[in-house]
Amino acid sequence: MDLESLYIIAINFMLEIFQYSFMWRAIIAGIFSALLLGSLGVFATTRKMSFMGDGVAHASLAGIALAILLGWAPMFVAIIFAIFIAILIYILEKKSNLSADMAISIIFTGGMALGILFLSYYQGYQPELISYLFGNILTISNEDLFTVITVSLIILTLLIIFYRRILFSTFDPVGAYLSGLRVFLYDIFLYIAIAIAVIVSIKLVGIVLVSALLVLPSAISKIFSKSFKKLIILASILSIIIVLSGLLISYYLNLPSGSAIVLVGILFFILASLFKVIKTSLNRKNN
Amino acid sequence: MNPYIEVKNLDYSYNNFLALKNISFDVFKGEIIAIIGPNGSGKTTLLKNLIGLYVPTKGEIKISNLKPFAYRKNIAYVPQHFSFDSSTPITVKEFMGLERCSQHSHKPNNISRVLNIVGASKLESKALAALSGGQFQRVMIARALLHEKELLILDEPATGIDMAGEQTIYDLIEKINRERNTTCVIVSHELNIVSKYAKKVLCLNKNMICYGKPEKVINKDTLQEMYGLGVALYHSH
Repeated sequence: MDLESLYIIAINFMLEIFQYSFMWRAIIAGIFSALLLGSLGVFATTRKMSFMGDGVAHASLAGIALAILLGWAPMFVAIIFAIFIAILIYILEKKSNLSADMAISIIFTGGMALGILFLSYYQGYQPELISYLFGNILTISNEDLFTVITVSLIILTLLIIFYRRILFSTFDPVGAYLSGLRVFLYDIFLYIAIAIAVIVSIKLVGIVLVSALLVLPSAISKIFSKSFKKLIILASILSIIIVLSGLLISYYLNLPSGSAIVLVGILFFILASLFKVIKTSLNRKNN
Repeated sequence: MNPYIEVKNLDYSYNNFLALKNISFDVFKGEIIAIIGPNGSGKTTLLKNLIGLYVPTKGEIKISNLKPFAYRKNIAYVPQHFSFDSSTPITVKEFMGLERCSQHSHKPNNISRVLNIVGASKLESKALAALSGGQFQRVMIARALLHEKELLILDEPATGIDMAGEQTIYDLIEKINRERNTTCVIVSHELNIVSKYAKKVLCLNKNMICYGKPEKVINKDTLQEMYGLGVALYHSH
């Protein structure tokens, strides 16, 4: 076999991925989910509410399980349920003496318990549920793709329009209040946007791992960014790179997509942290 | 002349705990007033009532004949502690520019101008997390200057700053007050500073112990009533 033939085989192998419509759907859904979670994650980590993604994802099991049990569209029910959860977390945080982590823990476990209760009424094996728990790119339908794109475009447009106001409310709520902003509106928007972003990404990464995509791109980007603007751009780009790399690895090595995406993110985080440690020690030496 | 700030019979309680009891005082436009009192005496709570963040349980506050919530756009507030995630890479320029989204729009070059006024012109592109306590307070005061607000409320503005830095911060506040006729309400523990800069002093320990000119109200009796036994006032000769 000559070099040219080997080259053609390698190219065909690489392009094989694009022959399947499910892979196209996964890639497009992945890009939009990554953009959403990457940009919103920057605000979530700055507000120290990374745990909220986990809470919403796990609590949404109740909505998903109820939808499966009743034969409704799980994604739609989960989005409605997530909006309700986001508002509930906000109210518990602001209007009670509960701390954010306590409020989220209560809702997290309550939702999971309710979900397990609903599932106990379901007779037989439920493969769709497994794909919600751990992510499965094969299960992303055209309807799911449409939902992901529509929801992402709405949230990203609002995020761009109100970027400075949301940043002000995030970073300095008292200053934002004194400038005349109705801070709670931007808070609620952010809570609901994060909840929806988590839900639309569940089929790709799974309930168990989805919050990692909210945290990892932001955590890595903070190492390299010198301004907030650069941070949000870098986190969004990095999020897309992590999701697409994870999807490719998952396809070629036949691994679960959620695991592959999150492990790629963690590998990037370890490399970025090592780079930071080496750079800091070199700077110290030179000084 | 009508008072600029009117506080009448103010009570504030939370979780069945009475934090402020029957507070009444007036402040006139362009005055600097200082609030003194021991830890937990309600100083910060009073400031939060003044900016409309807390709503009085009883009594009322009026600033320029408006409730604090309605007047809030004219108030600049410098908190004692500004907590933020230090890993967030936000620059001083970005921080100063946050308020651009509200009605108080300003040109970006104004940021350089006000930073220059407070002697922090070199900090513009620095990360907020990398600033020292003194530098941070200067930036906070510069931000208050940026929008030329009528009322400047400062909660222990010199916390964590050395003596020289403290003097600079208070000189700066006095300069703003003199040049712009900005009314200033300052919480401080430093009696010397209070005596030097404030026109009136409010002594607080949940209820109002005294209110008036520093030379009249800061004496052994009021200090003992506020801080308890063992507090004495020493005068240098």
